[in-house]
Amino acid sequence: MILSRYFVCLTVILFVFSQQATARANYQDSLPVTRGAELSLYAEDNETNCLVCHGKLIYTLTDTVMGMTRKQLMSEQNLVIPGMFYNSVHWSFSCLDCHSEEFKIFPHSIEARFETSWGCIDCHGYDPNYEQYGFEEIDAEYQKSVHYTATDGLITCWKCHDPHYYNPLARQTRGGREYIIRSNEMCLRCHSNAEVMGLITDENVEIVLPKHEWLPDVDRHLEAVRCIDCHTRMNDSVLVAHEVMPADSAVRGCTDCHSQNSILMGTLYKYAARESRDEKGFVNGVMLRNDSYVIGANRSKLISFAGLLIIGMTLAFALVHTIFRIVVKPKDQVHE
Amino acid sequence: MSKSFYHYPAWVRLWHLTNAVLCLFLIVTGFSMLYSDPDNALVVKFQRAVSIHNVCGVLLTISYTLFLFGNLFTSNGKHYLLNIKGLGKRLWKQGRYYAYGYFKGEESPFPVSSERKFNPLQQVSYVGVMYFALPMLFITGWALMFPEFILKKFLGFSGIFLTDQFHVILGFLVVIFLFIHLYVSTMGKTPLSNFRSIITGWQESH
Ligand code: HEC
Ligand code: HEC
Ligand code: HEC
Ligand code: HEC
Ligand code: HEC
Ligand code: HEC
Ligand code: HEC
Ligand code: HEM
Repeated sequence: MILSRYFVCLTVILFVFSQQATARANYQDSLPVTRGAELSLYAEDNETNCLVCHGKLIYTLTDTVMGMTRKQLMSEQNLVIPGMFYNSVHWSFSCLDCHSEEFKIFPHSIEARFETSWGCIDCHGYDPNYEQYGFEEIDAEYQKSVHYTATDGLITCWKCHDPHYYNPLARQTRGGREYIIRSNEMCLRCHSNAEVMGLITDENVEIVLPKHEWLPDVDRHLEAVRCIDCHTRMNDSVLVAHEVMPADSAVRGCTDCHSQNSILMGTLYKYAARESRDEKGFVNGVMLRNDSYVIGANRSKLISFAGLLIIGMTLAFALVHTIFRIVVKPKDQVHE
Repeated sequence: MSKSFYHYPAWVRLWHLTNAVLCLFLIVTGFSMLYSDPDNALVVKFQRAVSIHNVCGVLLTISYTLFLFGNLFTSNGKHYLLNIKGLGKRLWKQGRYYAYGYFKGEESPFPVSSERKFNPLQQVSYVGVMYFALPMLFITGWALMFPEFILKKFLGFSGIFLTDQFHVILGFLVVIFLFIHLYVSTMGKTPLSNFRSIITGWQESH
């Protein structure tokens, strides 16, 4: 008796642990490949030139003339976390590849501050090595997007793609839930923050989330699809479409996603779908790898087939039985 | 020879009507979601299907709970107590009767009486549906409404996926039950007499 109770407890505990272990493993899978500072040719230069200050929350301010030092707090905005920088696609760069030499001097001069930063297209455009990303197409799409037109280009690629931490997550993570949340944070950094929005635009912008309450269980939806899946114009020639349209053109039909020909196969799951054909046995099976189950878009072919078959057999049986009842005329119905 | 007796108490009839209507709504909206397609006029619009399905699911849970109480505290419950001993034999007898004896004009092997409301096949299917399929449907259905309580992973599968598959399988089972149930109900004294009795309560023995 006691033994069996002990067994039940043990099973439950093991089960809970295995749950957490898989959750953690899944999260780690979704993180980009670690590259590491050891490999960077510029690690030392970066450290002495810039990261002594920008890589730390507290840096030391020195007055060379008076020989005084003081501890200062680096503002979050100017913080560049070294571990994350060396984990990004541009890990092998020197800070000075993108920033002016003038920044070596502190206080930073006005010339330094007037540097024009590179755009992605300046380095990646028309380079066959990066053809798979379609930078030229993305750039053209971006220039049609509301972000470009409504702000005269103030919202550059860098405003969404952090210059120091960027990774092409759509490919590395295969669209897991972690990825969706991070991708959406990119947008929510501005759009869920009325103060930030107020700084960028004069218009009276509202926080976006209330505009999405037509979705049942909004929170869950916004962890299962990306903002851009509804807000960009579909484009087959790039993996991630970039033409963010005005809000009134956004997807709002449930069956755009919840149906056999779900748009999600051409947006969120494009990469997974391109990599491997379908997960057999399910309609739009690639979505299932994402711990998602999208009603109407995913359905087991086997269950459908078996279910409909048995229903059909039942009806056929009833039909045959009815015919017999009519032809044979059971006696008890005739008598009595 | 035929004598009438009061067979279905009022609360059973009221419950049954509610149950039948809600189940029909649930089946139609459930299938509309499973086979969701904006161009198919046969299925209910997705958004409407979701809301109707949710509301009916909640109502059905309530009516089911009342039914459970009814079976606990009235004599109706005794018809749902399965006697395992010799069950296989009795099922076979009843099945044979439907398939063969019925046409030969044999006497029904388990005639309806106030002591025995259901024949063995009815009893097994009613117990199966009322004490197994529906409760499991409620559990999985409510879980899908509050997915934060569903285990994230179970044996390597997504919890929400498994819950949903189970819900769908049970839904199919209830549909299959319903078709059999409806058909077998036409095999009373006359094709319509059982339907009359589940509405009026009176049953003629046959
Ligand atoms: C002595 C510490 C220190 C060092 C070394 C330093 N910075 Fe800074 N940097 C700051 C502080 C403090 C700020 C914020 C205040 C300001 O804008 O002057 C800043 C601001 C900046 C800005 C933002 C300018 C703007 O207009 O908003 C950039 C870009 C920058 N630093 C780049 C660099 C680069 C690149 C290096 C290395 C070549 C570097 N800094 C070295 C302390 C430092
Ligand atoms: C791939 C190019 C690139 C590299 C490499 C790079 N930066 Fe930047 N950095 C930029 C761009 C572009 C901006 C301006 C971002 C914007 O306009 O929002 C920027 C902005 C900054 C700022 C201002 C705060 C901010 O985030 O807007 C600081 C500070 C900074 N960089 C420090 C560094 C340091 C320190 C390094 C080296 C560890 C470094 N950067 C490496 C491209 C780069
Ligand atoms: C100063 C030039 C420069 C700028 C600006 C720049 N990149 Fe890069 N990027 C590179 C180089 C060089 C590499 C290759 C680094 C390596 O292989 O170590 C690279 C690598 C990449 C990769 C990985 C490519 C692959 O297949 O391995 C991606 C994705 C990428 N960049 C995207 C961007 C995006 C998006 C922007 C703008 C937000 C951008 N880059 C801005 C120079 C740049
Ligand atoms: C409004 C925000 C936003 C702006 C502006 C933006 N992007 Fe993106 N971009 C995204 C999002 C969201 C993704 C998908 C998330 C991810 O994969 O990291 C993405 C993905 C990408 C990718 C990866 C595509 C792939 O095939 O893996 C590239 C490359 C890219 N953007 C380039 C650019 C360039 C170049 C610009 C400027 C012309 C730009 N982006 C401007 C939001 C933006
Ligand atoms: C740097 C801040 C910033 C980021 C990041 C950002 N946006 Fe915006 N967004 C804006 C601003 C500013 C506007 C213009 C608001 C206006 O003038 O109406 C805007 C406009 C929009 C509009 C049009 C709204 C309308 O009323 O028609 C949509 C849709 C939108 N953004 C979606 C997104 C999505 C999706 C992302 C992420 C991929 C994103 N935004 C990232 C600042 C941002
Ligand atoms: C399921 C599709 C869908 C998703 C996912 C979605 N949106 Fe929207 N969004 C819409 C629709 C439809 C509207 C128009 C609502 C209206 O005007 O009533 C809208 C409106 C907006 C607006 C305009 C708000 C305003 O004040 O007019 C912004 C900005 C926006 N969304 C940003 C986002 C961001 C950021 C995300 C990701 C966190 C996101 N959306 C996710 C469909 C979506
Ligand atoms: C942009 C695509 C998209 C649109 C548009 C969309 N959904 Fe969803 N929906 C999803 C995805 C993806 C999931 C899967 C969530 C998960 O696995 O956690 C989902 C899940 C759901 C769920 C199950 C949530 C739960 O709690 O388990 C319901 C119900 C639902 N959607 C209803 C709707 C309705 C009603 C509409 C229209 C008003 C709608 N959805 C529009 C993508 C969408
Ligand atoms: C349109 C739908 C339905 C109709 C027309 C219908 C009809 C009937 C009839 C005629 C009877 C009496 C059967 C007999 O005496 O042999 C009955 C009893 C019963 N039905 Fe239904 N039914 C329907 C739906 C359902 C559903 C969906 C369920 C369960 C999920 C169900 C469960 C039962 C049960 C448990 C009984 C026995 C009630 C008792 O006396 O305790 N029925 N039904």
